[in-house]
Amino acid sequence: MEIENNELLRYLGWKGQEIDETLQNKLDEAAKRCLDTAEPRSVVMRLALNEDFTLGGTGFYLEGDDIKKHLAGCKEVYLMAMTIGVGAERELMRLSAKSANEALLFDTAASCAVESYADDVCADLEKSCGKKLTARFSCGYGDFPLEAQRELCKILKTDTRIGLCCDENYLLTPRKSITALAGITQEPAGERPQGGCGHKCGGCKNTACAFRKGE
Amino acid sequence: MDFLSYLKEHIVVFDGAFGTMLQKSAKNIGTVPELLNLERPELIAEIHRAYAKAGADVITANTFGANEKKTGSAALSEKLIKAAVDIARKEAGGRFVALDIGPIGQLLEPMGSLTFGEAYEIFARQMQAGKGADLILIETMTDLAELKAALLAARETTDLPVLCSMTFEQNGRTFTGCAADCFALTASPLADAVGVNCSLGPKQLLPVVKTILENTEKPVIVQANAGLPDENFNYNVSADEFADIYKEMLGMGVRVVGGCCGTTPEYIKKLRALTDGTAPAPSPFRRRSAVCSARRLVAIDGVRVIGERINPTGKKAMKAALYEGNYGYVTQQALEQAEAGADILDVNAGLPELDEKAVLTKLVKHVQSVCDLPLQIDCGKPDAIEAALRAYTGKAIVNSVNGEDKVLESVLPLVKKYGAAVVGLTMDERGIPKTAEERVKIAEKIIARAKEYGIPEEDVYIDCLTLTVSAEQAQANETLEAIRQIKKKHRVKTVLGVSNISFGLPNRQIINTAFLTGAMFAGLDLPIINPNIPENMQAVAAFNALSGKDKNCADYTEKYGAVTVQTSVTDAKGAPAAQTESGDIFYCIKKGLPEAADRAKKLLETVTPLALIDDYLIPALNAVGDDYERGALFLPQLISAAESAKLCFDEVKKRLDGNEGAEKGKIVLATVKGDIHDIGKNIVKTVLENYGYKVIDLGKNVPPEEIARVCREQDIKLCGLSALMTTTVANMEETIRLLRRECPACRVMVGGAVLNADYAKKIGADWYCKDANADVKIAQYIFGGGEEVPRL
Repeated sequence: MEIENNELLRYLGWKGQEIDETLQNKLDEAAKRCLDTAEPRSVVMRLALNEDFTLGGTGFYLEGDDIKKHLAGCKEVYLMAMTIGVGAERELMRLSAKSANEALLFDTAASCAVESYADDVCADLEKSCGKKLTARFSCGYGDFPLEAQRELCKILKTDTRIGLCCDENYLLTPRKSITALAGITQEPAGERPQGGCGHKCGGCKNTACAFRKGE
Repeated sequence: MDFLSYLKEHIVVFDGAFGTMLQKSAKNIGTVPELLNLERPELIAEIHRAYAKAGADVITANTFGANEKKTGSAALSEKLIKAAVDIARKEAGGRFVALDIGPIGQLLEPMGSLTFGEAYEIFARQMQAGKGADLILIETMTDLAELKAALLAARETTDLPVLCSMTFEQNGRTFTGCAADCFALTASPLADAVGVNCSLGPKQLLPVVKTILENTEKPVIVQANAGLPDENFNYNVSADEFADIYKEMLGMGVRVVGGCCGTTPEYIKKLRALTDGTAPAPSPFRRRSAVCSARRLVAIDGVRVIGERINPTGKKAMKAALYEGNYGYVTQQALEQAEAGADILDVNAGLPELDEKAVLTKLVKHVQSVCDLPLQIDCGKPDAIEAALRAYTGKAIVNSVNGEDKVLESVLPLVKKYGAAVVGLTMDERGIPKTAEERVKIAEKIIARAKEYGIPEEDVYIDCLTLTVSAEQAQANETLEAIRQIKKKHRVKTVLGVSNISFGLPNRQIINTAFLTGAMFAGLDLPIINPNIPENMQAVAAFNALSGKDKNCADYTEKYGAVTVQTSVTDAKGAPAAQTESGDIFYCIKKGLPEAADRAKKLLETVTPLALIDDYLIPALNAVGDDYERGALFLPQLISAAESAKLCFDEVKKRLDGNEGAEKGKIVLATVKGDIHDIGKNIVKTVLENYGYKVIDLGKNVPPEEIARVCREQDIKLCGLSALMTTTVANMEETIRLLRRECPACRVMVGGAVLNADYAKKIGADWYCKDANADVKIAQYIFGGGEEVPRL
């Protein structure tokens, strides 16, 4: 898990503005503080992907065209959830009471951290199964409904296994958490592309995504 | 024999894992395994039978996740629980049946949006449905607040014995950071047994078990996993190894044993064999004076500082904050005191016209959300004390009772029920006695009465009361003498508000420091002081060095070895402003430099405070805002500029001395109900405040009624709402509807990731704010000084 300066800036909406030493120090400090308070945990299940797009042993049906397209050709998937924990959440609340800027920078660093951690988890899975994985696909991507989040958490028992909950509004708490599926392809594992969703923006229906790349 | 009598005489054996067994027999468990209680009861019965045959004393019904948030409805939960208890009862054959209660699966406030009250109600309904069981087992908890809600529901809505356990990680804490000793201290008063389950294998749990044993007088329960799982959830500790480590635990004093994930009847059989003929070992528990939050235990084994700042008495800004519901100010005070070295924080909401019960509860909640220091609930009204004790997660101090029977009878039962410590003032209906001896007499009455209620001496903190030395000079010595006598005769601790001593005298801190030092040498454990005053903390550090508490004066040297000692007298006069190399106030603000404050101080020598705002701060902020809009600056730069400007405003405010002249208008901000993403709202708050607007920040997850009430009562002209998710925008819409009805004059601006102008219009908002700068333009329009911003 790491927090790259460029990622941090991208999340902050940086468009090439001059960054002086004071600001750079603040960015570095936020990243360091985040890595110090983060307690990354994950839970993963390897499940069969049935032909009717239910997941083996769970009865969980994958709704929406995009997820089906994304997992086309896969016979198995990894169902996964990861969080950097309540400690980071609490630190964010403390900073929010202190300084909006420190809170913003920490919040952003924490977003980078959980994405990076998810990349690590996927890289490890790929190594252990020897097959290339598809990019991660999360609830709310394209037309895969956000509502699926709760079922996903139940299947993985995220509450008792890693302390991750999904509330009435399908928000994940602690906030800096990810749930996702990754298909296990038939190709042997190789170098993994970076980035959670793979940034294949052209094919994604989530047009409101803040990180959608220009068309 | 009932369960508690059985527990008194025997080591009790629970059954083992349920899920593990179920996985073996059922092909597709689905997301609500409790449905099998109705669909395939024979599977459930079979598992119970196997554990009964293995020798378990207690059969745990299949109800762990059968709460309405997981099953989808209270009616279904009730049905599943009743069926489960029936099946268990049938198979138990004279053994005890436990109603199993697991976590709800949603985080409580402030991390999540579920309230303590909602959690309590959910648990109470589960327990009502399962009241046919012989006992309640609350297990696998990770959040101490959620556990407390479950324990209170069990205690208040059933007569069943209740056992509880949390799940800990290798570092001795739960996922939410709750420490094992804090858990033991907080849960013990409400439970019949406390302990640990799930988590790790038995070997890794040994340190946690030891900590719990040392911190509770109640029997300790351990239900470990069969080691650690691999990626297919197979566990790696055999039944024999498992039993070997349990043997060690029994020797340590563990009284209730069983298994969690990965264990099977084979494991329980071994435990049965192990416990048969084994007499319970004595508990290593030694009572000590200590209080805690969920994450920090403070042992009163030396001087511990209670920070006094969160108290409106004689404090104008705190008073205003409490009246307005501005809890941002309160949390800042909490953080400042924590950083200054306070060990415990006093919270007080005793103001006329204030609903003390409601406000005190909110104080407790807000302070807990940013700071892990234990709290002292400073209040004399039993109903408010109880509400605050319920809201507090940990072991608190209740401040206070005195020698009056009426007071003792109304407050001590609460102290006992919630397992708090209590401050006893050495006064009664006749007032404060003049001599040390008489004060000691009252203290002894309080100690004796507390004992009658089951409150040990270690949880009684006696306050010998400070009187003003300028009015009653002989009394300073009487107070100190009373402390000496009480400490000599009893195991109680002593507490004292110090600064009253100097009332009416010049340079009060000189007297305060001397009295504080004298009191500590007399035996004062808990001074209630302002930790932000350097001399106070210096006196404590010096005392610790002089009395030998601070071995080799190490702490003292670390703290004061390389610093110029600050005193509040020189501070008030103003230290010479640090010089910055370049630039004026505009430059400092734009660059977000803290030196902006020094520039402001300097300017204020020649310009009026209001002119500084209008001619310097606002133009500087406007320039920064324009740069931001043009894209020459990005968000962190905008905010750090605003924060530098805030330092300048603080200088202005000092000079205006509470005069409201600097305030340009009052704005209410809130993140709507159901939503806890408040970062955007906090940014808006910072920026608005630095334009001189008074922001009443209601926080996150705020119900529509609360927002409407504040806007109505304070005649608010502008309200800003934020929501991040499409699912919570519905609550934003509802809030706007309510605002329209209850305060038609209030205008509403909204912002949040999923909103845009069209969407904002659809839900009835007046303005959509794409960023923090947009809010400023709207505020300037409403409160004067800005161009018209057309409504949606």
